[in-house]
Amino acid sequence: MPMGHTATAEAGSGGLTATEHRLANGLRVVLSEDHLTPVAAVCLWYDVGSRHEVKGRTGLAHLFEHLMFQGSGQVKGNGHFELVQGAGGSLNGTTSFERTNYFETMPAHQLELALWLEADRMGSLLAALDDESMENQRDVVKNERRQRYDNVPYGTAFEKLTALAYPEGHPYHHTPIGSMADLDAATLEDARAFFRTYYAPNNAVISVVGDIDPRQTLAWIEKYFGSIPGHDGKPAPRDGSLPEVIGEQLREVVEEEVPARALMAAYRLPEDGTRAADAADVALTILGGGESSRLYNRLVRRDRTAVAAGFGVLRLAGAPSLGWLDVKTSGDVEVPVIESAVDAELARFAEEGPTDEEMERAQAQLEREWLDRLGTVAGRADELCRYAVLFGDPQLALTAVQRVLDITAEEVQEVAKSRLRPDNRAVLVYEPVAAGTTEEDEEAAK
Amino acid sequence: MTELATMDFHPQPQAGQPKPWAFPAPERGTLDNGLTVLRCHRPGQQVVAVEVLLAAPLEAEPVGLDGVATIMARAFSEGTDKLSAEEFAAELERCGATLDAHADHPGVRLSLEVPVSRLPKALGLLADALRAPAFADSEVERLVRNRLDEIPHETANPARRAAKELSKELFPATSRMSRPRQGTEETVQKIDSAAVRAFFDKHVRPATSVAVIVGDLTGVDLDALLAETLGDWTGSSAEPRPVPPVAADDTGRVIIVDRPGAVQTQLLIGRVGADRHDRVWPAQVLGTYCLGGTLTSRLDRVLREEKGYTYGVRAFGQVLRAAPDGTGIAMLAISGSVDTPNTGPALDDLWKVLRTLAAEGLTDAERDIAVQNLVGVAPLKFETAAAVAGTLADQVEQYLPDDYQATLYQQLAATGTVEATAAAVSAFPVDRLVTVLVGDAAQIQEPVKALGIGEVTVVSAE
Repeated sequence: MPMGHTATAEAGSGGLTATEHRLANGLRVVLSEDHLTPVAAVCLWYDVGSRHEVKGRTGLAHLFEHLMFQGSGQVKGNGHFELVQGAGGSLNGTTSFERTNYFETMPAHQLELALWLEADRMGSLLAALDDESMENQRDVVKNERRQRYDNVPYGTAFEKLTALAYPEGHPYHHTPIGSMADLDAATLEDARAFFRTYYAPNNAVISVVGDIDPRQTLAWIEKYFGSIPGHDGKPAPRDGSLPEVIGEQLREVVEEEVPARALMAAYRLPEDGTRAADAADVALTILGGGESSRLYNRLVRRDRTAVAAGFGVLRLAGAPSLGWLDVKTSGDVEVPVIESAVDAELARFAEEGPTDEEMERAQAQLEREWLDRLGTVAGRADELCRYAVLFGDPQLALTAVQRVLDITAEEVQEVAKSRLRPDNRAVLVYEPVAAGTTEEDEEAAK
Repeated sequence: MTELATMDFHPQPQAGQPKPWAFPAPERGTLDNGLTVLRCHRPGQQVVAVEVLLAAPLEAEPVGLDGVATIMARAFSEGTDKLSAEEFAAELERCGATLDAHADHPGVRLSLEVPVSRLPKALGLLADALRAPAFADSEVERLVRNRLDEIPHETANPARRAAKELSKELFPATSRMSRPRQGTEETVQKIDSAAVRAFFDKHVRPATSVAVIVGDLTGVDLDALLAETLGDWTGSSAEPRPVPPVAADDTGRVIIVDRPGAVQTQLLIGRVGADRHDRVWPAQVLGTYCLGGTLTSRLDRVLREEKGYTYGVRAFGQVLRAAPDGTGIAMLAISGSVDTPNTGPALDDLWKVLRTLAAEGLTDAERDIAVQNLVGVAPLKFETAAAVAGTLADQVEQYLPDDYQATLYQQLAATGTVEATAAAVSAFPVDRLVTVLVGDAAQIQEPVKALGIGEVTVVSAE
């Protein structure tokens, strides 16, 4: 059957191109011209994330990301924010397991400012880093943790699932936000050492996308970043490889004050950058990506046992990816009812494989997601950095959609068969308890 | 102790020559069935955005049936005269499309996004949903149950819970605005397909609806496409529905929604102001940005970057419902969350920021940086078709001219420091703010009482 129904004439790359360069200090540069709108996106990926953290210092990469906005050699206080916003730009940074990124989207005529700012902190952050900003941002990050995880129902589910799916001591066992105890324990010297170890031009990729003059842009990058010395002190990250399947069903029951029962599970999936990872993405889209997916149809539409049901994928390059199931039950429905329905659907899918129509739908959805991601200069800049840092080739970003469209039904069935099995998952079950009772109380009562 | 850097430093670069950019002007027309259409060609935007506005406001819901507009909105994607609910969802996803629908105070809005190559098919599905929705008994029943299941999740979410409480406090019980947009358990369980059908028949027709279509329309014969899709939708004509006036009580007071054991307190501090027809709007946008628009605004400079009490606190103005004569209203609010032990000190600082603003005003530098940001980010903000379509639809929904956004940028640039200060101070007067705190009453009640920012009442979260 014909595979890869494409929505655009040039779905392979959408007509986009990118050029690659490398400065003498090792900084890799990716440029992509697009003159449709007078804006330019700058994106920097440092090849450091929470997987590089050591025991007792979880959360350090993310805390450090905050410190990158507290001034540098020539930039005072909150100057990074003030100068970019004052120039009509927007900016931020994020930290994940595998990388830390910093990005600015600027009106095109303000591009040089963003380059100057990024170079200043890459080369001279420690000239400004002090106890005051360390103490302040430690509190801010602890409040970020409370707001996003600790103070919302099911907020720590991802952290719990990750800890189950990756064994103790594995670099992905903990999530980027880190623990409160470790955030408290981090010192200014830890932050300094972290910068000296990981923040170097030869451990980064910068991409600039949009209404740019590539030759001028490259000259500016050379001017501002060229004198920052590279160094080779970075230790190799700990090995994240694991057997293809977990080999048993891991399980944790959480009794918490949540509004409904929930069944969550993390399946161990192929590493990103492989055809099998793309096939897994298609499989999980068919099974749980949207309102025509198998699980939605079964649990929400037909059985009416769930209020929401779906699958998400966390693509990882340095460890097995995760397929994340999330089902919230309806009314008084018990978890085993949901679980047996999920198992039945997964088993049937592995047995029968996808239909032609399901392949078409899933690929159309994934294609639109790619068009969305590449449709803004900031999205494109981020993807170019991603493929450059994780896979060594930014051009792969421009052909990613084609690779998803090339996946066959056989490949989808194969990955479902080999990976979406009960002995390859970590399960998290939520059982609600009344207000005021916590797990500790229950323990004490026994 | 600092560390000497080894790089070569260069002076901060100067900006280049700005390139012209203007908020896109849509082309406006009317189909034979009375449907108003705004279209806007955005080169390069392969994902087309379509917004449809239906003049079915929440206050039109029958008494006791709060939530019927929401159930109707959701039921649009649950089957037509040609397709079952499952088939409709499947066909839509086969186009690579997403279709969202929600009901709010001004009306119901449907948002379609689809790659341009599949626009004809997706627009056909959207038209069928509006022209001939199935509203099958069993599907509506399922949506009702699903909605009932959602309510406890919203109650458990501190931000959602705070918003619900603030609406209840600000508006009289007789106003639809005082009650949850998507209904309560009591009202939602009374909704059935007959109620949905009746609401649809009474309030949904092409003559009172507007479609906004934005994207790279190169090679698309939109007139022909509209004629065979949305143009095929029929209905009677109708007079525009008048917008009822709403009074709000912003007597300064504090309501604590008790959540024992909460590690943070969710703050929502608000009152009501004028809609965008008011001349003060541009100055209020500017002043509100200076107060709490970003991490370097006054509130976060103290609460986050100096004290570390929060991950971020924002001030904003958001139109709840506009009226053609400018008597509509907007919510003016400050929101964020702070750690439980520092709730009292954080509110104390927040009030100090407001008092200092009233006493000393904004600085010219603050005003300049705010204007540069608010005006300068426009080309970034409106890069995608969806962003442009959303703003064009907002303008229509708020009875504003199609060039409103473009004009707003000129007005912002012409607004001075004094006007921005005055607008911010009158938007957030220290004694006319209703403060909702979702948090652990046992820990925060006494420190909050001690601040003297209004009478403190504690209510249960459930």
